[in-house]
Amino acid sequence: MQNPDLIRQMKEKAEAVQVTVSTIHTMEDAFQYTVDITKKQGGRTVVAAGLKTKEQGSLKNECESSGLRLLEFPLRPHANEIHTSLTIVDGGVAETGTLVLDSTSEDVRIATMLAETHVAVLPASKIKPDTTALENELNAVLKADVPSYTAFITGASRTADIERVLAIGVHGPQELHILIMEENKA
Amino acid sequence: MIKTAQDMKSYKKQLKEALADKFLRSALDNFNTAYRENRPTVYEGVDFEGIKKEIAAGKDSALPHFIEMFEEFKAKAEAAGAKVHTAKDAREANQIIAAIAKDNRVKKIIKAKSMTAEEIFLNDHLEKKGFTVTETDLGEWIIQLRREGPSHMVMPAIHLSRYQVGDLFAEVTSEKQESENIDKLVKVARKQLRPAYLEADMGISGANFAIAESGALGLVTNEGNMRLVTTLPRVHVALVGYDKLIPDLKSMFRILKVLPRNATGQAITSYVTWIKGAVECASSPGSRKEMHIVFLDNGRLALARDPVFSESLRCIRCGACANVCPIYSKVGGHKYGHVYIGAIGLILTLFYHGRENDRAIVRNCINCQACKEVCPVDIDLPHLIKKTHRAVLDQEGRTPVKNFLLAKVMKNRKLFHFILRQSHLAQKPLAGKEPMIRHLPHFFEKEHGFRSLPVIAKTPFRDQWKQLRPQVVQPKYTIGFFAGCAIDFIYPEQARALLKLLKGHRVQVEFPMDQTCCGLPALMAAEEKTAKEVALQNIKAMQPRDYDYILTPCASCGSHLKHNYLKIFDRDPAAPANLEAFMDKIIDFSSFMANVLKISPEEFKGTGEKVAYHAPCHLCRGLQVVEEPRKLIEIAGYEYVQSKDEDVCCGFGGSYSVDFPEISAEILKKKLDNVQDSDARLLVTDCPGCVIQLRGGMDKRGTKIQVRHIAEILAEALK
Repeated sequence: MQNPDLIRQMKEKAEAVQVTVSTIHTMEDAFQYTVDITKKQGGRTVVAAGLKTKEQGSLKNECESSGLRLLEFPLRPHANEIHTSLTIVDGGVAETGTLVLDSTSEDVRIATMLAETHVAVLPASKIKPDTTALENELNAVLKADVPSYTAFITGASRTADIERVLAIGVHGPQELHILIMEENKA
Repeated sequence: MIKTAQDMKSYKKQLKEALADKFLRSALDNFNTAYRENRPTVYEGVDFEGIKKEIAAGKDSALPHFIEMFEEFKAKAEAAGAKVHTAKDAREANQIIAAIAKDNRVKKIIKAKSMTAEEIFLNDHLEKKGFTVTETDLGEWIIQLRREGPSHMVMPAIHLSRYQVGDLFAEVTSEKQESENIDKLVKVARKQLRPAYLEADMGISGANFAIAESGALGLVTNEGNMRLVTTLPRVHVALVGYDKLIPDLKSMFRILKVLPRNATGQAITSYVTWIKGAVECASSPGSRKEMHIVFLDNGRLALARDPVFSESLRCIRCGACANVCPIYSKVGGHKYGHVYIGAIGLILTLFYHGRENDRAIVRNCINCQACKEVCPVDIDLPHLIKKTHRAVLDQEGRTPVKNFLLAKVMKNRKLFHFILRQSHLAQKPLAGKEPMIRHLPHFFEKEHGFRSLPVIAKTPFRDQWKQLRPQVVQPKYTIGFFAGCAIDFIYPEQARALLKLLKGHRVQVEFPMDQTCCGLPALMAAEEKTAKEVALQNIKAMQPRDYDYILTPCASCGSHLKHNYLKIFDRDPAAPANLEAFMDKIIDFSSFMANVLKISPEEFKGTGEKVAYHAPCHLCRGLQVVEEPRKLIEIAGYEYVQSKDEDVCCGFGGSYSVDFPEISAEILKKKLDNVQDSDARLLVTDCPGCVIQLRGGMDKRGTKIQVRHIAEILAEALK
């Protein structure tokens, strides 16, 4: 279900914390966006998490034809060279413009923590109004007797530690882009 | 190194140094104002009062169950591969963490911000054991490089300017830095610290939450360094106080609604992270993180059982009690706490770092209630600070001269009033024919000369009462008039103004002669026993059943009578049966005039004179009376002009202004500057204590602005 009010709120709240929000309709749009932003910023590399094999292939072609390198997992050896990371996130919280990302996989963590720019695909159907609506889902993950690492991400990394002046991009990504994937209206 | 003053003499010296730091003063003053101005926007659509009560209740109900919650947490966390330890004190925690490092052949350690690690001086210990420790939170890194402690719980380097940081970074990088550009300074940290993450063998973090039902840790951060600290090294140690245990995820979400808002003005931080168990880690031999969680007691479990102080364990470390504190904004965190700073720091220092480190700083509270108002977990901080002061005195078995005299004199009303009467004679040579004492004799230190002092009235109000007592036929209301010492003995004209206003409203006023000091000065000096004795005398003097209201034109007395009486008799079998009835009858001047008598503009001639208003701490926060006095100013035909920071303390605080004159003077200075910036000719307030301070300050400045009690300007405006 796509609720236009929730999508609007998600967009507004995310933009309020310096996120660039766009709407897309296919994964191809996401690939194009990722390649374009990387080139624009003078980046050389892209990494993607959560893609199907076929999608990974088509992103790779897209990158190579633009002179970019798609980095392969495991990412530790590439830790110093990740420019853009593309992820498909697990949910959104409209109330605060927050992304929910299961980061149990170490590669997902490295991708989203060490990249300069994080591009996140958020399926519109996964936007929840608030944290209460997420509680059961998240609790199921936390209560299971297996290790997990779950992240709420709201905007880019930031600090106000020097003279209380807001500065974006300290240790984590310097930019966050959200691509809200709206299902094609059939 | 943290150097907290252990006696008043060295504390005073430190305070003087802090007051001379111009950058610190302007930075913190601006912060104080900006934080308060921004707050309504941040809390738009959030029921702050409701949530804080819920959180407080939740935290309180968890207190007796720390051990059960810990066991539940441990079982769940260990089922997911974490190793859970307990440390009874700082020493043990340091040993456990060093042993984990040694067992795992760790050389380099990186750290995310953790107040709990600061509490146990973890870095010092690990460095002594030969490990290299690097802080990664920007503010923490800065203070680590400077070998300082944090000066704020959320923004540890708030005391430093960009230029100081620029110079420091120039030293670290051996490159010149563009200090003007904060963005560039931030990028220096990004670049410098990246290799440290990748080279480190062990990462240390704290946690904001330990969720019992799932065994997961919850962490609330902005910079992204904590995520790297808990991801890249092969070993992760989380140091967690028992007070971070919460039963479930719902409780965490509830706190998450207020923690970022209170701490940094954000609806949510950039990152909220849940870590459970030993997650995958390619650099670890078993491809699983070596995950350790160390629970720190260090006095918490005993504190949880304390009937009075357990409330302090509700603290979620948002730092807001410092942000709004007028004293913090003058002297900064290094002089307003030990490791933990701000109001909560004055309390926790006793329990976590001993009375030596608390005995001087705990006295530095003016009781303005600003911290209590913003506390998101409803801790009565000013009250607990006084209780802590008392506990320090008890532990030291010491009775300061001031306390000894105060107890002796206050308990005996006749002696107390005799001394006040004698003071009128004693001050004569100082004041001459002037209404104020403008030059103090030189045995006073010059710090006390920032304001002129009022003279004790020749005839106190109580001696005028016989002539003044109105006889009302068929009264609509009978009120007991509680004057308070300041009005009775210094400003009887304020009481006469009140009587003039009541005329024609069919109010029978009674002034029981046995009333005495409300007891607030005794409580402020941590003389609880004396405060109780005078409370009993007052309740005996003014039987609540005899009056419709007990009215006081002194906001400080009012707030003390209405709220503190219950607290000082908490769980005390000596509490009088009519205590609550007494408290219920208390009303302040403005509320009585505006809400009970409902006075109207017809009674007044409008002069249109511009009036600025100072909201006394004990009225706007203590009694939560905000609109009424401002309404009265308009009703009486004056023009109310707003000035900046009306609800910020004037710096009086009773004996506070005598104990800490330099700070009192600075707080007053800002207040008077703000009033002078408005074009008001009159400055009006609801508390004779504030009148002493404000009038004394204005007199010293030689301005034309007159300072009056609101009852006076109302009485003068009567037709």
